[in-house]
Amino acid sequence: MANLKEIKRKIGSVKNTAKTTNAMKLVSSAKLRRTEELARRSRVYAAKLTELLNEIAQKMQKANVDGLDNVYFKEVANPKTVDIVFITADKGLCGGFNAQTIKRVNQMIADFKAENIKVRLRAVGRKGIDYFKFNNVELNDEIVGLSAAPDYAEAAQFITEVTHAYVNGETDRIILVHNGYVNMISQEIREDQVLPIDPSKLELSDNSTSELEVEPDDDDTLLDALVKRYVEYTMYYSLIDSLAAEHSARMQAMDAATKNAKEMVKTLTVKYNKARQEAITTELIEIISGMESMK
Amino acid sequence: MELMKLEIVTPNGVIFDDEVRQVTLPGSEGEFGVLPKHATLVSLLQAGVIEIVKADGSKVAVAINSGYVKVDEEKTTCIVDGAVALSGEDTDLAQALSEAKELLKKAESSSTVIAAAVSKVENIGKSL
Repeated sequence: MANLKEIKRKIGSVKNTAKTTNAMKLVSSAKLRRTEELARRSRVYAAKLTELLNEIAQKMQKANVDGLDNVYFKEVANPKTVDIVFITADKGLCGGFNAQTIKRVNQMIADFKAENIKVRLRAVGRKGIDYFKFNNVELNDEIVGLSAAPDYAEAAQFITEVTHAYVNGETDRIILVHNGYVNMISQEIREDQVLPIDPSKLELSDNSTSELEVEPDDDDTLLDALVKRYVEYTMYYSLIDSLAAEHSARMQAMDAATKNAKEMVKTLTVKYNKARQEAITTELIEIISGMESMK
Repeated sequence: MELMKLEIVTPNGVIFDDEVRQVTLPGSEGEFGVLPKHATLVSLLQAGVIEIVKADGSKVAVAINSGYVKVDEEKTTCIVDGAVALSGEDTDLAQALSEAKELLKKAESSSTVIAAAVSKVENIGKSL
């Protein structure tokens, strides 16, 4: 009989879990819709900004015979230090979302180490920070709260520090790693080289032949401002993209959890019924055999 | 009448995308007008008002805080940080005007630039 009670209690607790996971799934899907809208809108801006930057860079590259002589575009021949900025969520319960990013970062660290390049890590999001702290890996910079609620000013401040390190020559390359949103059911790891900007990657959309005029007319003012904006926005956009991916991953994970819980309730119910039947049968046998012995 | 394409993009989305006759922009080195077939130009923009003459001759104004513009022969693209449209069928004008003033005041540290832009916004408010 104790077994029966036990199973009943278990069914109740699994049902509660299913309720919780289902609620979390609903919350995530609502948040996802909002974040997706945000991402969709800022994607246009990001695309235009990149386009403009490309065009200016290419025009300037054409004007200069020996390539673009600007710190933001110059690839260092033998990089010694690389900064990796990576974005994870502040919270778990989202399947392999954080683990994937961390795995990729670890992979990159190993790769760079093989080339004798020093890696400095800059972490956004509690999960990533916790992981590397637990494994005694030094983090150069860390910020919590930004990945759950992307804020342009904060994102800009964070990435500006890294940009300063780059301009001062402390680091030779900045790479941004995050788990990006593809659609409701899939995410993919995105790895962007933020600085130096690689102009060859940018495709040429040259539809005008006239020479580019730039105002204010020393190139650096405009380019500096533009690059700053571009870097900041890349960071901000990655945060939004990562948040959307996080919500979609959590939605999936919670959906799976709810399904599993429901499945478990079914199995437990079958088990409960069997146990109950067994108890009844035992009782019946006891009564019948008692009667038999009375005869 | 020759036309060109004008796009105004903010981090919150595209706020203007249409064929226009003429556009006046608040460049950091001074205000300038753009007509179709303008030579390629990239400029910083400061706080001010973008004045647009649409294909049908009607005028539209958009207050911005800062950004960039890229002009070429067929297309003008403005990439701005913040913008408030000052005219349109469904906008509440009084509210849009105060929002625009707020935006301008926050954006610029130089008081002359603000004063010029705000007075422009007020003029537009009167003329509409």
